[in-house]
Amino acid sequence: MSLRSNLSALFASFRMRLTTITRYPGQLVMDILIPIVFAYMPILLGRASGSNSALVFASNTGTTNYTAYMLIGSSVFTMVNFAFWHVAYWLRWEQEAGTLEVLYLAPTHRLWVVGGTALYSCLRGIFSALAAYILGSLIFNVSPFQGEVLLALVFIVVGIIPLYSLTLVYGAIILKVKEANALVNLMQWGVSFFMGIFFPIAIFPPVLKAVALLFPPTWMTNGVRAALLGVGFFFNSWYLDLAVLWGFLLVTPMFGYWVFTRTEKNVRRNEGMGQF
Amino acid sequence: METSQFLNHLKAEWGAFRAMTRKELIIMARYPINFVASFGQTFLIVAIFTLGGSMFFRANPAAAGTLPAGVSGGNPSGVVVYGFILFMFMSDTLWTIGYNIRNEQVQGTLEQLYLSPSSKFASLIARVTNTLVWTSLLSFTAAALMTLMIGKLPVENPWLGLYLLVMTLAGTFGIGFAFAALTLRIKETAQTVANFLQFALLVLCANFFPFSALPPFILTISHLIPPAYSVDAFRTAMMGFPPGYPELAPFPTEVIIVTLFGLIMPPLGYLLYRRAETYARKRGSLSTY
Repeated sequence: MSLRSNLSALFASFRMRLTTITRYPGQLVMDILIPIVFAYMPILLGRASGSNSALVFASNTGTTNYTAYMLIGSSVFTMVNFAFWHVAYWLRWEQEAGTLEVLYLAPTHRLWVVGGTALYSCLRGIFSALAAYILGSLIFNVSPFQGEVLLALVFIVVGIIPLYSLTLVYGAIILKVKEANALVNLMQWGVSFFMGIFFPIAIFPPVLKAVALLFPPTWMTNGVRAALLGVGFFFNSWYLDLAVLWGFLLVTPMFGYWVFTRTEKNVRRNEGMGQF
Repeated sequence: METSQFLNHLKAEWGAFRAMTRKELIIMARYPINFVASFGQTFLIVAIFTLGGSMFFRANPAAAGTLPAGVSGGNPSGVVVYGFILFMFMSDTLWTIGYNIRNEQVQGTLEQLYLSPSSKFASLIARVTNTLVWTSLLSFTAAALMTLMIGKLPVENPWLGLYLLVMTLAGTFGIGFAFAALTLRIKETAQTVANFLQFALLVLCANFFPFSALPPFILTISHLIPPAYSVDAFRTAMMGFPPGYPELAPFPTEVIIVTLFGLIMPPLGYLLYRRAETYARKRGSLSTY
């Protein structure tokens, strides 16, 4: 098929997802509220921990602005959450709808179809995360636009591609194990833990820290925090941290695609794609 | 009703309860990954919030020299751990009944269940029983993990704490029945409502922080909902009445509120559920979701 036809399939998939979500406006509002409420809990704990809490927090993280620190964590968590639920769960979604087997018989490669879903998920994730961060900052009376805003955006844009590539690996696991709900739930919290949603990964023991550094969202979260709040980059300069994220950007899509196609081939040869 | 009739009725109720509990247990056991994942997920959530909270009271030793003398935050372990335990139990009783009713609708078995002469009440209660046992195990292990991470946990007045926990659970069972009634009426939207209420209650009941941290207008709403008093009374009793606690009302008043909540809410919730169920049966919408 020509590139034009494939792109048409990609945008059709994107439009289909977008049409579906516009039918649930309440869900869109919840997308923005949940990260704010989520960050609200540690923020309130900080407020209740006495007048010295900001100083103690700064000794651990490098900033006294714990409100923005928590909001950045929960906003990036929203993007991670969406990536896993929309892309890794995409296979399950098609399985449940009974359309996955059909998709595999269509002349369009499913990569273009899932690409449309990923594009939708990416835009929804970035929109919700930014809206939650800005609205949350205004509610808690902190400035959302401090530090290097553009650099923070660069970290988000570069980091989001490896994140979505990772979900392909996870999609492969779901294809094999089937129990998608439980696995996606577990993984979203696992990634949130490793990326240091409410704390710096410096507090981890060395082995755990090494594992955390293998996750692109860890670099993304710290990059955004360092750019906006000045908490410090892992390699002390933004371009070295960004270079690592670029490295992920080059490696993870190929790795994700390779793992996914291998598992998929295996599943198709044995029980079939429509089984769940 | 004669004694033998009453005994037969009781036997039938117990039989229905046992059969439904067994059915739920079999379903649970068929998804071992789900089972293990829920355990792992709880531990991760606990670790995330505990480590996040510890940033405020445990100063980094490397930076200790840069802090002014005497600077340290208060250890919130009691507040967080007991709030977490209550949150786990309350979540189960509040949402599980409604979710299960909806599952039964999706599976297409709710209509059949209501055509059988078995007890509807036992069927509703049975849906939460397995989850409660599982949650007990989860919460106590998670509480142990939290204690390991953030410090020694005060355990004072355990019997008073147990009484408050039981009364709270009875009350939330009642809200659970009412939510199940709502599920029958609003169908798909129930999921979004449950999500919203779950987060709203988490803030209003101040499970992970003291009530004093809440802004005044939210605190006013907290004063209006009995589960908030449950959280406050439970952790106050378990922490041995530390200075500044309870925060919402004098302790005897809180105990009265929690007791009334536990006694009044279950029959009220069940009444609402039966009304919604009768309405759905008359309209023929019991299996529509």
